[in-house]
Amino acid sequence: MAVRIERVPGGEFALTTADFFINWARESALWPLTFGLACCAIEMMGAYASRFDFDRMGVIPRPSPRQADVMIIAGTVVKKMAEPIRLIYAQMPEPKFVISMGSCANCGGPYYDSYSVVKGVDKIIPVDIYIAGCPPRPEALQFAITKLQEKIGRSSPTRSALATPYQEKGSRVW
Amino acid sequence: MIETHSSSLKTDQMFINLGPQHPSTHGVLRLGITLDGEVIVKAEPDVGYLHRGTEKLCEVRGYHHCVVVTDRWDYVSAMTNNLVFCLAAEKLMGLEIPARANYLRVAMCELNRIASHLLFFGTYGIDIGAFTPFLHAFREREMVLDLFEMVCGARMTYNYIRLGGVMADAPPGWADKTSEFLKYFKTKLREYDDLLSFNPIFLDRTKKVGIITAEQALDWGLSGPNLRGSGVSYDVRKTFPYSIYDKLDFKVCVGEAGSCWDRYYVRMREMAESVKIVEQCLAALPSGDIMAKGVAKIPTPLPGEAYAHVEGARGDLGIYLVSDGTSCPYRLHVRAPSYINLAILQEALVGLRVADMIAVLGSIDIVLGEVDR
Amino acid sequence: MTEISVSGIVEIIKKRYPSITVAEPSLIKGVTSFKASSGTDYLGVIRAFKEDLGFEYLDFLTAVDWKGAVDARGYIMDPNPNPFLPEGAVEQSEVKANPNFQYRDHFEVVVVLSNWKEKLKAAVRIELTRGNPRLPSLYDLWKTADWQERETFDLLGIEFEGHPNLKKILTPDFIQGHPLRKDYVHVKDQYD
Repeated sequence: MAVRIERVPGGEFALTTADFFINWARESALWPLTFGLACCAIEMMGAYASRFDFDRMGVIPRPSPRQADVMIIAGTVVKKMAEPIRLIYAQMPEPKFVISMGSCANCGGPYYDSYSVVKGVDKIIPVDIYIAGCPPRPEALQFAITKLQEKIGRSSPTRSALATPYQEKGSRVW
Repeated sequence: MIETHSSSLKTDQMFINLGPQHPSTHGVLRLGITLDGEVIVKAEPDVGYLHRGTEKLCEVRGYHHCVVVTDRWDYVSAMTNNLVFCLAAEKLMGLEIPARANYLRVAMCELNRIASHLLFFGTYGIDIGAFTPFLHAFREREMVLDLFEMVCGARMTYNYIRLGGVMADAPPGWADKTSEFLKYFKTKLREYDDLLSFNPIFLDRTKKVGIITAEQALDWGLSGPNLRGSGVSYDVRKTFPYSIYDKLDFKVCVGEAGSCWDRYYVRMREMAESVKIVEQCLAALPSGDIMAKGVAKIPTPLPGEAYAHVEGARGDLGIYLVSDGTSCPYRLHVRAPSYINLAILQEALVGLRVADMIAVLGSIDIVLGEVDR
Repeated sequence: MTEISVSGIVEIIKKRYPSITVAEPSLIKGVTSFKASSGTDYLGVIRAFKEDLGFEYLDFLTAVDWKGAVDARGYIMDPNPNPFLPEGAVEQSEVKANPNFQYRDHFEVVVVLSNWKEKLKAAVRIELTRGNPRLPSLYDLWKTADWQERETFDLLGIEFEGHPNLKKILTPDFIQGHPLRKDYVHVKDQYD
């Protein structure tokens, strides 16, 4: 992607496209919901804590879905939890993104044959990034965040109808 | 007990739903709470939001495969889960464990207890409103996880303790690094006391709150630090010693009043005891094999039943294992301490102010993976 | 009660409850097992353990379904898929009944109690018929029986009479049947 910022000589102005500016704002302050399900949640906490320090990437956990941009599905999604997850996802404001963290959330993982586990969170809500691992290391979560930032950088909010990635009809056209 | 009804002024009750997504429920616990003004009149924990049906899954997995599933019950101290399953299965198969493997097992379990209590220390601070302990606790926890990574490559779900011994020997340099950590950690324990344990605000919020008497604790079947916080001196490591705990010298930490602070402080003192145990294990670490001879690739124990229990980080963790002579367990039941400890909330929360609810819930220290299995 | 030993307990229980049989050799390794034959005996012997013999702690309460090998239809997928298996090789952990083992059409409830002073453990067991598994609740003796009995009810379908709040606890409402029964067949729902 070409550099999209242009300085106006001698002034306090810079010129850029609306797409670039909106994407820049979105991707540099991804606020995830503090929403831990199982083992992966402990690694997620580890990622927020001292050694890995997500704050430096603009990732600050928010306790309320109303304030969050990203939902990290960290752990096994069981059938009893499926409906609450759908509800929490609906409560998040647009634009919203979902990271599926760990094998359980991706596909059921070690519980592939269990009577009570949803085989992948993508059966309930749309997912942007999948991370493999059981549980993935905090570095993997960090990688997923950078991947999500790249993905947001590729989108063009001004050109799609509703200017949000998740459109009313449920399609995921970028 | 605070009087919940005043005869002159009748007020309506209010139902509050807490969870399953709530930053202070340590996972996906849902609490239905009925309030009269600010006082809790009824509390109903609703569990099952992480019920993965592992007891059923173990019935079609071989004994070696079950160890993988055990990791994910109490994922904060997975080593003890590995250990208790292996102890039960070894009882069925009559395996003799080499001495070095036993010492390594105990050292790992105690290191894992430190990691688990550190997580409690950090998150309990957040529950009460102090964020700094979280950062301190995780700094040290990462060091413990590094030690685990050296021996088995995993940070959380280790699968290290196997039937008949352990997966791999400690690599060169591990013992030195561990003793270095223990030396460093002892100074940190004093720092935690200065930081949180005797902080006046923290004391105000926890010292006389959520009192569980010894009778109540026994009635509800509490175990681990929650029981010891109420003044009952019961530790599986002392009462029903397993592995090599009868050869080790350590104290059982007991609280006095059974308040939130007592339960908290029992855990803090237990970390110091764990440090002592690991030091003894390192000093006495014998050389030799790490795996018993003749462990079958597909073990098929004779029909029989076994019950093994250990002192996990959260309490008396037991496994009741039934074999019918096939290659998979016929029935596996987990005595999950978190599940049993959690039930007391129905009684312990009644009569408290709503602001103290999180203090009590945090001090019970549950892991939802173990509650729901 | 000052000093008690395993043989002492066995004698006391045999004297008071002649219908109780002591399993020899012990069914659970290291734990003396007492087999009750009726619900009143079960409750009575556990009460005697708690009140007279100092077994003041309920370790756990669970049940075993002795029907036979587990039904593979209780799992959503084939429990043992192995795409790398060479042709003709045997699966590692196939679900198969042991032809030499005596399966029976019963549930068995197992209660393990501890006496910490004497460092003893005892198990009380009772077999229930498959058609109508009912048992008196231990809630009056220990409140910890509350959730443990609810779990046993939820997963194995054993009803405890006198339990104040016997309803599902772990599985969601729409899951039909009791998953830990050996003949449980999973009914497909919206998430499968």
